[in-house]
Amino acid sequence: MANYFGLSAITNFFKTISSHGGLRASLAKMYRMDSVRMGTCVGTDKYGNKYYENKSYFYGRNRWIEYAPYYALEYDGSQIPAEWFGWMHYKTDLIPSQDPSRPQYKWMTDHTENLTGTPGQYMPYSTTRPKIEAWSPTKA
Amino acid sequence: MLRSALVPCKDSLSNTNLLRSVVGGFGNVQLKRNQSTQPATQQEVRPWSPHTKDKNNLAEYAFARLDDLLNWGRKGSIWPLTFGLACCAVEMMHIAAPRYDMDRYGVVFRASPRQADVILVAGTLTNKMAPALRKVYDQMPEPRWVVSMGSCANGGGYYHYSYSVVRGCDRIIPVDIYVPGCPPTAEALLYGVLQLQKKVKRMNTLSMWYRK
Repeated sequence: MANYFGLSAITNFFKTISSHGGLRASLAKMYRMDSVRMGTCVGTDKYGNKYYENKSYFYGRNRWIEYAPYYALEYDGSQIPAEWFGWMHYKTDLIPSQDPSRPQYKWMTDHTENLTGTPGQYMPYSTTRPKIEAWSPTKA
Repeated sequence: MLRSALVPCKDSLSNTNLLRSVVGGFGNVQLKRNQSTQPATQQEVRPWSPHTKDKNNLAEYAFARLDDLLNWGRKGSIWPLTFGLACCAVEMMHIAAPRYDMDRYGVVFRASPRQADVILVAGTLTNKMAPALRKVYDQMPEPRWVVSMGSCANGGGYYHYSYSVVRGCDRIIPVDIYVPGCPPTAEALLYGVLQLQKKVKRMNTLSMWYRK
């Protein structure tokens, strides 16, 4: 009956707020993640990112990540490691710890985020003569 | 392989990495040997602003904060000009559609170069279209940015050896962000826009003006 009149939305609202630990914490989460959603934490990766799921949301919004606190507002999609990428993108429903078929070789390197714009960025260089001549409009 | 991408950002200024930056990409053998597979548990909280200035120099500090304010305004309202040339344009339409919804980042398509901040070059740039692209770019007000989208705009792509195709739009206009893919997904393009936001955030217009 409560569902029929949409009263469950109100109870869900208060449940969501209390699950985050009060109004203040919810607002902080809203500020950081632009949404406050109730969900179960299905796993944590080694960088401290937490992965949540709530099937009652529609497909595409029912899985989300809460980035590790030290990222603050500087989070980025490339901080999701390869193990969790498939789960986040609905390639698989199995989280890394449940999937027995994940290859684990010792030569596999650690995940890094996108380093564009940092001193660690990839910078290609060429040893050949440039084929094109830059146009400088001031000469004309 | 992205050889230098193996270096975590936090120790990019350490001695071994300094060595790497001096000798090019081949100097991080020792760094690789020293790298740990254990997760770094305690990391510093990342600062919001890329401009970290000492508070002792009050003027520099103030200008850095003013830069932050200016960049915040700029990065929150990046208005792109659509320059759809080929199939990439379909993906460019997708980021405006509800699923990816660029509007939530303040990215709104403008039809006029006079009102635009970014030009999204989406698709194969042909010799015939090149003067038009340059003209449109020249009509954009400063500051302006360029996002090159897809293999064709990045470097000619599939049509690299064609007689009538420009081998990358960076031969015509200076490109800020290259989005790879053929075509890139709307998600990839949106990620490119977010990277551009990061780039805008690093601008130091006022600090440079003050330094002069």
